[in-house]
Amino acid sequence: MTVATLGRRGAVAALLGAGLLAAGAPLAARAADDVVIGVIQPLSGPNAQFGIGSLRGIELAADTINAAGGIKALGGAKIKLVTADVPTPNTAAAATQRLISQNGVSAVIGAFVSSTTLAASEVTERAGIPLVTFAFADQITGRGYKYVFQVSPKGTVFGAAQFNYATEIAKAAGEKIDKIAILYEDTAYGTAQAKGLRDAAKAAGVEVVMDEAYPLGITDVSPLVNKLKASGAQMAFPVSYLNDGLQIIRALRQQNIDIPVVGGAAGYIIPDFKKGLGDYAEGVLSVAAASGDLIPEVAAEYKKKYGTFITHEALIHAAALDAVVQAMEKAKSADPEKVRAELASLDYCKGFAQGVPGGCIKFDANGLNASSFPVFVQWRGDEPVTVYPPKAAKQKPIWRGKTVE
Amino acid sequence: MRFALKPGHVVLLLFFIAAALLPLFVDPRGHLLRVAAMALLFAAMAQSWNIIGGLANQISLGHAAFFGLGAYTSTLLFLRLGISPWIGMLAGAVVAGLAAALLSVPTFRLKGHYFALATLAFAEVLRVIANSWADLSGGPVGLTVPFLGTQPLSFAFRAVSSYYWIILALLVIVCVVFYVLAHGAMGYRLRAVRENEAAAEVAGVNTFRVKLVASVISAALTAMCGTVFAQFTFFFDPDSIFSLSGISVRMAMIAIVGGLGTLGGPIIGALFLIPLEEVANAYLSSRAAGLSQLVFGLILIAAILIQPRGIMAFFPKTKGKTQPKAQPATEGARG
Repeated sequence: MTVATLGRRGAVAALLGAGLLAAGAPLAARAADDVVIGVIQPLSGPNAQFGIGSLRGIELAADTINAAGGIKALGGAKIKLVTADVPTPNTAAAATQRLISQNGVSAVIGAFVSSTTLAASEVTERAGIPLVTFAFADQITGRGYKYVFQVSPKGTVFGAAQFNYATEIAKAAGEKIDKIAILYEDTAYGTAQAKGLRDAAKAAGVEVVMDEAYPLGITDVSPLVNKLKASGAQMAFPVSYLNDGLQIIRALRQQNIDIPVVGGAAGYIIPDFKKGLGDYAEGVLSVAAASGDLIPEVAAEYKKKYGTFITHEALIHAAALDAVVQAMEKAKSADPEKVRAELASLDYCKGFAQGVPGGCIKFDANGLNASSFPVFVQWRGDEPVTVYPPKAAKQKPIWRGKTVE
Repeated sequence: MRFALKPGHVVLLLFFIAAALLPLFVDPRGHLLRVAAMALLFAAMAQSWNIIGGLANQISLGHAAFFGLGAYTSTLLFLRLGISPWIGMLAGAVVAGLAAALLSVPTFRLKGHYFALATLAFAEVLRVIANSWADLSGGPVGLTVPFLGTQPLSFAFRAVSSYYWIILALLVIVCVVFYVLAHGAMGYRLRAVRENEAAAEVAGVNTFRVKLVASVISAALTAMCGTVFAQFTFFFDPDSIFSLSGISVRMAMIAIVGGLGTLGGPIIGALFLIPLEEVANAYLSSRAAGLSQLVFGLILIAAILIQPRGIMAFFPKTKGKTQPKAQPATEGARG
C-alpha cells in the first residue's frame, strides 16, 4: 500500500464523515425574536423563472412588513425567510422536512408547481405546519387536509373562466363562438385546466374541434398549429409554460392566423413572454390569478426593486406571506397550531391581499380562498393589463383589433 | 455454496446493527432520520440494480420503469380495490418481473450502449403511458397515498422510524439476495457473461437464461423499493417516479460510485451521495439557484476521477473470491 492510496482513503473517509455529521447538525441558530417562515420554490430546473418570481414576491412582502415594524403582536418580531430549492417533486419532502425540523419554521409558503406542492403538503400535514400556496391543482385542497391553504382559485375554475370570459368578450364584440380548440401541455397543471375548459365548453354547447395534449418540452409545434388551422376553430386556448407558449404564438403569427388566442396563465404573463415574442405579444389574452395593476403601489415598488413588472405568482405568493403574518398578529403567537387556527378563520382585505382579485383572503372549510376569482389580462405594450371581468378591469378588452365596450 | 465469515461481512453486519439502532438516538420525526431512510432506500435500489448491472454488466438506464411499476401497482390496488400495500408490494414485484422478462426478449440481443438506450426508452414509454392513460394511472397529477395514521396492516405509520426500519429490512433482504446470487453457480455464470459472453456461451452457459433470471429478480426487488417509496413519501407522479435523472441514473450512479458489482458498493455509494446531496441542498440551495446541483456534480466527477472503480476499491480486498472483481466504471457500458 502506497502513501498515495492511504491519503486518498483518508480523504474519502473524511468526506463521508463530514457529510454525515453535517446532515445532523442544526443549520442555523435562530435569533430569539425572529419568526422563521419557510419558502419552497423551484429555483433551478425548468420552472426556475416562476420560482424565482415567486420568491421575489415573498421577499418584497417580508421586507415591506419588516420595514413597517415587523409583527406587532409579537413585539415587532422580524420575519426571517429560509429558502429551499425544490426543482422536482422528489426533492420536496426532504426539503420541507428540513425546514420544519432543522429551521423550526412556523409556516411554509410555496411551491409554484402543483405536483411539488402536493408532495410537500404530505409532510406539512403530518407535522402540523401550515402550508400556504399559489399552486392551483384541484387536489391540493380536495383531500380534506387541515393545514394546506390555497390563495388562488382551483385549476378547473381557471379553465372554466378562460372559456367563459372569452366567449363573453366575443359575444360583446358581436361574435358567436361555436368551435374552439384546446392545446395543453400534459402536466398536472395543463390537464387540470384543460378539463375545466372542456367541461365549460360542453356546458355552453360549444364544439371542441381540437383537443390536444403535447409534452412539456415540445420542440416543434408546427403539427399542432397546422391542425389548429385546419380545425376551423374560432378561438384557441393554449395552456402552456413559457417555451411552448412562445412557439405556438410565434407560429400562429408567422402564418398570419388571426384567430384570437387566450393563454392559460403561466408562460403567457411573464416578462419573458414579451421578450421572446416582441410585437407578436401585443393583444394576446390570458387568464391570470392576479395582476399588478390591481395594486399599483406594490407593482411600482416591485418594478423599482427587480426591474420588471410584478407577475401573478409574485403577487399571490406575497399575499400568502401577508396572510400568514396576519394570522400571527391575530394569534399573538408564531406557534404553527395557533397560526393554522387563525388562518382558517382569516378575513383579510388589506395589504398584499388587495392584489388578489376580489381583494380579500378568506379561506373556506377546505382551505381554498373562495373569495378570489380569475381575471383576464391582455398584453398592451410591455405589460399585461387587466381587462375582464368588468368589476376588476382597468381597461376595456380588444377583440380582433376593436375595443369591446 | 460455502459460507465463510470475512472481515467485510463483519463490517456489514456491524453497519446493519448500528443502522437498526439509529432511530433510538435521533428525533423520530426529524430530518436526519428521513435522510437516513432515503439513503438506505437508495442503497436497496442500487443493490437491486447491481444484480444485473454489476454482476452481469448489463448497464440499465431504465430501472425507474420497475420502480414506478411497483409504486403504481401497490397504490392503485390499495386505492381502487382496498388491497393492503403489503400484498400490493408482492403484486408489484410480479408485475415488474413480468415486464423485465418481456423486455429481455428483444433487448438482450443488444450490447452495451444499445442495451442502455433500449432500457431508457422503456422507462420513458411507461412515463408517457402513465401521463396519458389517466383513467388507469390518475394521470399527470399523480397519486396520493391516503393518510391513515398508524395502521400496520395497511402499511401506514405515523413515525418516520417505522418506515426507516422497513426500509432497512428491505435493504438487508436485497443484500442477502445479491450475496446468494453472487456466490452461487448463478454468480459464476453472470460473471462469465460479464467477462466474455461468447466464451461463456461456448463453455455451455445459457447466457440468455442467466441474464433473464437476474433481470427478473433485479426488477422485482426494484419494484418492492418502489412500493416502499410510495408509502413513505405518500405522493408520486409519473414524471418523478419514472424519472431518468431522479431514479434510473441515480440507481446506476450510486452503484458505480460505490463499487460496481460489489456487495458493499451500493451501500457506501448511497451513504456517500444521498447525505452529500442533502447537505449541498441545505447549505447552498438558498444562496444561488442551481449551486447545490453544481457542487454535487463537481464532487461526483471528482469521486469518479479519483477512483473509477468506486469507493469500495479504497478498502483492502478480502482474500479469495468473496467479492467479484470490480470493473472500472468507465468500461461499464462495454457489454
